[in-house]
Amino acid sequence: MRKVQNNGAWLLVLPVFLLVAFSAVIPLMTVVNYAFNDSFGENEFFWNGFDWFKEVIDSDRIRGALWRQFLFSAIVLLIEIPLGIAIALTLPKRGFWASLVLVLLAMPLVIPWNVVGTIWQVFARGDIGLLGVVITSFWADFNIGRDPLSAWIVVVMMDVWHWTSLVVLLAYAGLQAIPEAYYQAGRIDQASRWAIFRFIELPKLKGVLLIAVLLRFMDSFMIYTEPFVVTGGGPGQATTFLSIDLVKTALGQFDLGPAAAFSLMYFLVVLLMSWVFYTVMTAMDVEGGTQ
Amino acid sequence: MPASRWTALYALTIGVMVLILAWFASLVPIEDGQRDWTGQLVEGGWMAWSFPVALFFWLIAATLLTFTFLALRFPETPRRGVLGIRTTRGDRLFITLLGAAFLNIAWLGFSGQPQWQGLLPSLIWAIGVFRFV
Repeated sequence: MRKVQNNGAWLLVLPVFLLVAFSAVIPLMTVVNYAFNDSFGENEFFWNGFDWFKEVIDSDRIRGALWRQFLFSAIVLLIEIPLGIAIALTLPKRGFWASLVLVLLAMPLVIPWNVVGTIWQVFARGDIGLLGVVITSFWADFNIGRDPLSAWIVVVMMDVWHWTSLVVLLAYAGLQAIPEAYYQAGRIDQASRWAIFRFIELPKLKGVLLIAVLLRFMDSFMIYTEPFVVTGGGPGQATTFLSIDLVKTALGQFDLGPAAAFSLMYFLVVLLMSWVFYTVMTAMDVEGGTQ
Repeated sequence: MPASRWTALYALTIGVMVLILAWFASLVPIEDGQRDWTGQLVEGGWMAWSFPVALFFWLIAATLLTFTFLALRFPETPRRGVLGIRTTRGDRLFITLLGAAFLNIAWLGFSGQPQWQGLLPSLIWAIGVFRFV
């Protein structure tokens, strides 16, 4: 089919453009302005140059939050991606059990963030929570309000519980799309199970796994609600990730200047990831189209 | 469109943009007979506009307009550069601006030199991106 290129169609985007301008661009411009000015309230502003940016870059607190954020995203990815692939490989291919397992797997994905946080908050309590009680009685003192390691274990486990299903579903869909002929060819060559995984399944999963990694990185990089509900960023600063720190700066201390400079740099990282995501998706579209 | 109409369109766009810039400049407050270039354009306004930030957004808008005209007048096919991805002029502009933002943050954080000098690595980056990506 020949597609007609008509740049006049861009005018159809105009309503959405105006809406986005109102809901996103104007607030963004305000944030940029706040990042370059200081204020003592009453809408009276004083030029501050790049000082807020400098302060944020040099701040140990924000560097700590950034480092914890990358650590969290790395741990979450290192657990969820291999675990997701492993679970997807063991799932039944079709029939009643396949449907049942898929429904069960999808359940954590549809639970709201704050509910997930509350579930794990209660689950991890040392006095009434199942996880907390079991660990305290068999292993060691487990207290997410006092012990940073406990808090980290709970926050990571919570994310793994919440989002591994997403990786499983993506990998499962990718596996289902591999034609049977590849496996037949593998059997003719007497390929081992590992060889089938390494040279047939993994290369065919490359596309969906890339999407899974990017999605999970973005989501975990912007995580706010769950750790906020479970630990509130504590104990101390132990689980204060970027967005929690940002909200503390902006709304807790009402330091709008540093918060604005901080959120602009945060925005740049998210913009970079969005661009990578977009580029990967369109590149895969083009590849798929020429095959 | 005939070439003369394009010329009229260019002239109109440039005229509007220059008028907007002149309007910004006219809003700059005057203190002790001197123009206070970093002062508030709207006294008591909640958005805290000042001339440098307004100029920044004006430059972004002007760049986008320029590239829109380029895309309309000189359509191109995407090419594959060193990154192995298909890019058009607009893609390369986006990569340039995003990279320049990170370069400027790095300059602010690590160089200790005046911020305007951060434009130099950004310019080198821009030339590199437009030439090779």
